[in-house]
Amino acid sequence: MEVNVGDVVLPGDVIQAPNTNDKGKLILGPGLCRHMDEVLITTSGVLRKKGRNVYWVDSHRKRYVPVKGDTVVGVVVNRSGDTFKVDIGSSEQASLSYLAFEGATKKNRPDVQIGDIVFAKLLEASRDLEPELVCVDSYGKKGKLGVLPEGGFIFTCSLNLIRKILNPKCQMLKILGSEIPYDIAVGMNGKLWLKTKSIKETIAIVNAILTAEHLQHHEIASLCDDVINALKGM
Amino acid sequence: MYKMQIESEEDCLRPMNCQLNVLSRSDGSAMFTQGDTAVVTAVFGPAEVKPQRILIDKASVEALYRPKTGLPRVHDKMRETLIRNTCSTALLVTLHPRTSISIIVQEMQDSGGLLACAVNAACLALINSGIAMKFLVAAVSCMIDHEDNILIDPNSKQLKGSKASLTFVFDSIKKNIMACHTTGRFTQLQYEESLLKCRNGSDKIFSFYREIVRKVHQEHDRMSPTCRT
Repeated sequence: MEVNVGDVVLPGDVIQAPNTNDKGKLILGPGLCRHMDEVLITTSGVLRKKGRNVYWVDSHRKRYVPVKGDTVVGVVVNRSGDTFKVDIGSSEQASLSYLAFEGATKKNRPDVQIGDIVFAKLLEASRDLEPELVCVDSYGKKGKLGVLPEGGFIFTCSLNLIRKILNPKCQMLKILGSEIPYDIAVGMNGKLWLKTKSIKETIAIVNAILTAEHLQHHEIASLCDDVINALKGM
Repeated sequence: MYKMQIESEEDCLRPMNCQLNVLSRSDGSAMFTQGDTAVVTAVFGPAEVKPQRILIDKASVEALYRPKTGLPRVHDKMRETLIRNTCSTALLVTLHPRTSISIIVQEMQDSGGLLACAVNAACLALINSGIAMKFLVAAVSCMIDHEDNILIDPNSKQLKGSKASLTFVFDSIKKNIMACHTTGRFTQLQYEESLLKCRNGSDKIFSFYREIVRKVHQEHDRMSPTCRT
């Protein structure tokens, strides 16, 4: 079936006359695949377009498939020689070299133990290769990446919720942050790391985030207000 | 959880009802009923694969079928094989090499047309999980009774008076036959007639899938800030 932007699409549908830019280039995002001369849809969702020639399908998923350039939250599960094996929730564990930390040399090894939580960036992620993580950017600076401090709480949620709360339009993290001081690391793999001063605040923020999956914008703002008031009342 | 119900029409399928995302731990799940036949399906994948099942160029698809009572028997294994082969063809398995995709089907109630119900439920669970597929699949069952009438999607009461029962699985693009399972005796003409009737019936199932996905995204669409056109 031929579909247009904004339609609900199912696998097997074909995009009707997609726009290309001046050089005849068409950029296909997640959920789309090129099949001979047509653009085939491979996941169910809503077809979106940005600019003139960028298309993708907004779909709901829980399982993460590694994508190059994503920042993810992972747990160090193993250490084999010079690399750490990190569980990021995908089909294969990712590898993280000990040299991929700021200021790390062969003599000066980073202090990473099994069970540590790391916030890293995917350097290499293709279907045929093992995913590779780094905790440093191309200038050698760590920025926000690296081992996350102790005392935090990790929880998982669906990938569409992650994209929702990271969107600049969503006010949730700002509103919660204006009253409750917290530290958060949002991984594109569906894992979030949260650290606040007390257990009550952690539970309150976790519940607020998980409930936001099914709410509209104005409802999210009032949910945040409710949570903040409840905490103050305690 | 997303619910959807369709009422049946004359000479057509039994009313269908579906709930997606019923299980919290699986990557995709669906509870699907056709009339009184009910099935729950869960999908896990693309996940870690055991070394003996690893395939270097594609995902290893496995299907498990669990009957309501007792241990799985030979005809349950047959259902597993049919579901696995159908889903392997429908999924883009080359996109996820060295992984495994598991489809687990649990029978809740059998009131006729169980194989068709299981295949449709598996397809809905795969839609819910978001794993890349080339097309969708729909299964329709029919029977031929002793007066040589062809009945689409019979229930267990009607099946008691049947001399043959056929189940066809179609793909969503060209409506070609993907799988076919028959029992009993019938002529070639009866086979072709049943095939035609079932193919028409499969249109209803594909539009049901579209409606379900529309409902799922409508609820989220109003609130999702990622709308950009």
